[in-house]
Amino acid sequence: MDPLLELKNVSVHFAGLKALTDVSFAARGGEVKAVIGPNGAGKTTLFNVISGYVPPTAGEIYLENKPIHGLAPHHISARGVRRTFQNGGLFGEMTVLENVLTGLHVQISSGFFGLMLGTRAARNAEREATEKARRLLDMMDMGEFADQQVKSLSGGQQRIVEIVRTVATEPPLMLLDEPAVGLSPPMRERMMEIIRRLAGEQGVAILLIEHAIDLVMAGADVIIVLNAGQKIAEGSPEQVREDREVLEAYLGHA
Amino acid sequence: MSGDTASGSPAPVQRSRWISTFYLLPVLAAFIPLFANEYIQFMANRMLVYILVTVGFNLVVGNLGQLAFANTAFFGIGAYSTAIMMSHVGLPYWVALIIAAIAGGLAGLLASITALRGIRLYYLAIITLAFGELMRWVYLHADKVTMGSDGLPLPPLDLFGLPITTEVGKFYIFLAITVVVVKATSNLLRSRIGRAIMAIRDNELTTASLGISTAHHIVLAFVWSGVVVGIAGAMFAALVGRVFPESFGLIEVIVHFAMVMVGGTGSLIGSVIGGVTLTALPEYFRQFPGMEELFFGIIIICILLFLPKGIASILAKLSAVFRERYYLD
Amino acid sequence: MLLQLSLSGLTQGALYALIALSLTVLFRATTIVNFGHGDFVLGGAFGVYVLVMLLGLPFVPSAILATVVMFGFGIVISRGLIDPIKAGPHIGFAMMSISLGYVFRGTTRALWGREVFPMPRVFDIEPIFVGHLVITGDTMIITGVVTMLLAACAFVFYQTSIGKLTQAIYQSERGAMLIGINVRRFHDVMWGFALALGAIGGILIAPISLLHPDLGAGFLIRGFAAMTLGGFGSLGGAVVGGVILGLAEQYSGAYLNSALIDITSYLVIIIVLVVRPNGLFGKQVIVRV
Repeated sequence: MDPLLELKNVSVHFAGLKALTDVSFAARGGEVKAVIGPNGAGKTTLFNVISGYVPPTAGEIYLENKPIHGLAPHHISARGVRRTFQNGGLFGEMTVLENVLTGLHVQISSGFFGLMLGTRAARNAEREATEKARRLLDMMDMGEFADQQVKSLSGGQQRIVEIVRTVATEPPLMLLDEPAVGLSPPMRERMMEIIRRLAGEQGVAILLIEHAIDLVMAGADVIIVLNAGQKIAEGSPEQVREDREVLEAYLGHA
Repeated sequence: MSGDTASGSPAPVQRSRWISTFYLLPVLAAFIPLFANEYIQFMANRMLVYILVTVGFNLVVGNLGQLAFANTAFFGIGAYSTAIMMSHVGLPYWVALIIAAIAGGLAGLLASITALRGIRLYYLAIITLAFGELMRWVYLHADKVTMGSDGLPLPPLDLFGLPITTEVGKFYIFLAITVVVVKATSNLLRSRIGRAIMAIRDNELTTASLGISTAHHIVLAFVWSGVVVGIAGAMFAALVGRVFPESFGLIEVIVHFAMVMVGGTGSLIGSVIGGVTLTALPEYFRQFPGMEELFFGIIIICILLFLPKGIASILAKLSAVFRERYYLD
Repeated sequence: MLLQLSLSGLTQGALYALIALSLTVLFRATTIVNFGHGDFVLGGAFGVYVLVMLLGLPFVPSAILATVVMFGFGIVISRGLIDPIKAGPHIGFAMMSISLGYVFRGTTRALWGREVFPMPRVFDIEPIFVGHLVITGDTMIITGVVTMLLAACAFVFYQTSIGKLTQAIYQSERGAMLIGINVRRFHDVMWGFALALGAIGGILIAPISLLHPDLGAGFLIRGFAAMTLGGFGSLGGAVVGGVILGLAEQYSGAYLNSALIDITSYLVIIIVLVVRPNGLFGKQVIVRV
C-alpha cells in the first residue's frame, strides 16, 4: 500500500537555527506513529511543516502522492490533514453532540429552504447525521455525555470530544499534538486506547507527538525519534528501546 | 429513553413530550379572545409582534453573538413597506406582508456587510445604530411617501375580501404568522445551519477550519433576522394603524435589547418569554420622559449582574424539557 | 472667513479631542469603550449648571465639585458594575456600557423634563481681534484648558510610572497582579479619571451651548469618530482626530450643507473603516478569519 504521507529529506532552517535537518519518513492509514525526542528536538516544527504553517527550506512532502509542501494551512487541511491543538477550539456553549455534528456539517446534504420548511429530505439528512454522531460518540465511550454542554466536561473529556469531532470529518491523516498532556492517568490510557481504535477501526493515519514514553511504548506501532532536528531512529517500540543512540540522546543513560 | 442515566445526568426528553408541551401553547392562546376585553386583546396582539421582534433580534445577538443593533431598522422598514404598499400601491395585506419580509431580508443583507468585513463589537454596534437612525431620518424626510412626522396610515385590512376590523380578527392572523415563523426559525436553529451560526459565535477560527463558510452563515443569520423582524414590522403596522418615525428610534433599541436579555440570549424559548413579559411595560412608561430608557437600561444591568443567561436559564435548571435551550418543538 | 471657520473648528475640535482623549484613556486602561461617556460629559455640564444656577455657587468651585463627583461616579461604576462581570465574555462589557448610557440618558431626561437650559456667560473676557479674526473669550479658555490638560496627560502617561503601569496591565493583567500591582484599584482610578476628564469637557461646553439630554449621544459619536480617525487606542491620535473632526464639521457645514454637521461623524467612521481601518496612528481593529 502506498504511504499516505511521505516526507523526503525535509529541512527547516530559520535564521541561524536548524530546526529540522534531512528528515524522511512515511505515514500509512491504520498506523499509529509517535514522534518523540527531547525538548527542542523539532517535533512541533515537524507538525508545522506538514500542516503548512511553516514552509520547508529543503525537501518535499507528499500527501497521496501529491505535493503539499509550501501550500497554505487551510489548503492542506482541506486535503485531509487534520491537526488538533492543545487549546481545542471546541464550541463551549453547544452540547457534545452538536460539536460533533459541526464536524459532519459538510456531509449533511440539505439546503436552507429544505431545513427551514422541515421537509422530509432535510429531516432525514439531519437524523442520519445525528445517528452517525451518536455512533461515533458511543465508540469512544462518550455517548452518555452527548447532550451535555461541552464546557461542563473535564479537560480530558473535552479533548476526547475534540478528537471525535475531528474524526467526524473523516480525515485520512490526523496530527495529534500531545493529546495526553495534563490528563489523569486513567484518562491518559483511555486517550491512547481511543487513538489506537481510530487507527485500527477507522483506518486513520495518525502521527502524534508525546512526551509520555510509557504511553508511546505501549500504544504506538512505530516510533520516530528526533534529536536536534534530525531523525535518529525509527522502528517498533522494542527496536527503539534498544537503540543505543536513542538511549544516549534521550533517556540519559546508555 | 427518559429518566436519569447512571452518570446522573438526565437523558434528553422524548419528542412526543415536546410536541405536546409546545404546540399546546398556541392552542391555549387561541382561547384568549374568549376571556379578553379590547385592551387585553390589544396587548396580546402586541405580544405576538414583540415575540417575533425578539426572536429576530436574538438570532443576531444571541445565536450569532454579534452586537448588531440593526433591529429597529428592520422593524421600521417592515412597517413602512407594509404601509406604503397598502396606501400608495393598494396591495392587499398579505402581499404587503411578503414584501415587508423581503425588504427586511434585504436590509439584513446590507447590515451583514459590516460584520463580513470583520467589524466587531463597538464598531458594529455604532454602525448598526447609525443605520437605524439613518432610516428614521429617511422616514422623516421622505415625507411625500412616508408622510413624515404625521405618520402614514394604513387602509382597512382585509383577508381575501373578509374585512378585519377587530383586535380579535388581527389576533388570529398574528397568531398564525407567529407560529409559522417561530417554527421555521426553530427548524433552522436545530439544523446544521443553526449549529454553524452558533459555532461562529463560539469560535470563529475553528469553524472555518471545519470547512464551514463563515461568510455564508453570517449573511444568513442577518438576512433571516431581517425577514423575521420585517414580518414583525408588518404586523406592527397593522396593529397600530398608523406608522410614525419615532417608533423606531434609539429608545426602541433598548426595549428590544432588554427583551432579548431578559428572555435569554441564544434561546428561542427565551425570545418568546422576553417578548411576552416586557411588552406591556413600554406603554406605561412612555408617559414619563426618560423612564423607558432608565427602566430598560436598569433591567439589562440587573440581568448582566444577576442572571446573565436570562429567564431561560432558570427554566433550563428546573426542567429537562427546557434544557434544550433554543428549541420550541 | 476660512480662518474664522478654522478657529471655530479648532475650538470645537479641542472639545472633541478632550472627549476622545477621556474615552481613549479608559479604553487603554480597561479595553472597554464606554457607551455612556457622552452622557457623563453631559453630566458634568448638568452638574455645573445645577450648582451655579440653582445653588448659586460660583463657577470655579462648582466646576471642581462637579469634576470630583464624576470622578466618584467612575469609581462606583468600576467597582459595582464592571468588576462583577469581568469573568464573562467581553461582549458583556459592551452590553453593560450601552445600558449604562441609556440609564444616564433616561435619568437626565427625567430630571430635565422637556425644557432647554441656557447658562449665562461665565467669564467676561474681551475678545481679541487679529485682523479680521475674532478670538472670543470662550475660544481662549477652551483651547487653553484643553491644551493644559493634554500636556498634563501626556506628561503622566509618557513620563511617569503610571504610563508604564498602564502598559503593563494592558499587556498582562495576571502578570501585573502577580507582581503586586493592585489592578482593581487601577481600574477604579482610571474610570474615575476618564469620567473626570470628560466632565471637564462638559463643564467647558456648558456656558456656550443650550443643554438638553440628547446632546450626550452627539458627544459619544463624535468622541468615537475622533478615536476612529486617530486610531483606536492612540492618545495622540484621539487628539488629532478630535481636532480634524471639529474642522471637518465646520467646513462641511459651511461649504457643503448645514445638515451635514450632524452626520459628519458617521461619515468619518464609515470612510475610515473602509479606507484605512486602523486610522491614522492606531492598532488593529478588524477581525480576520
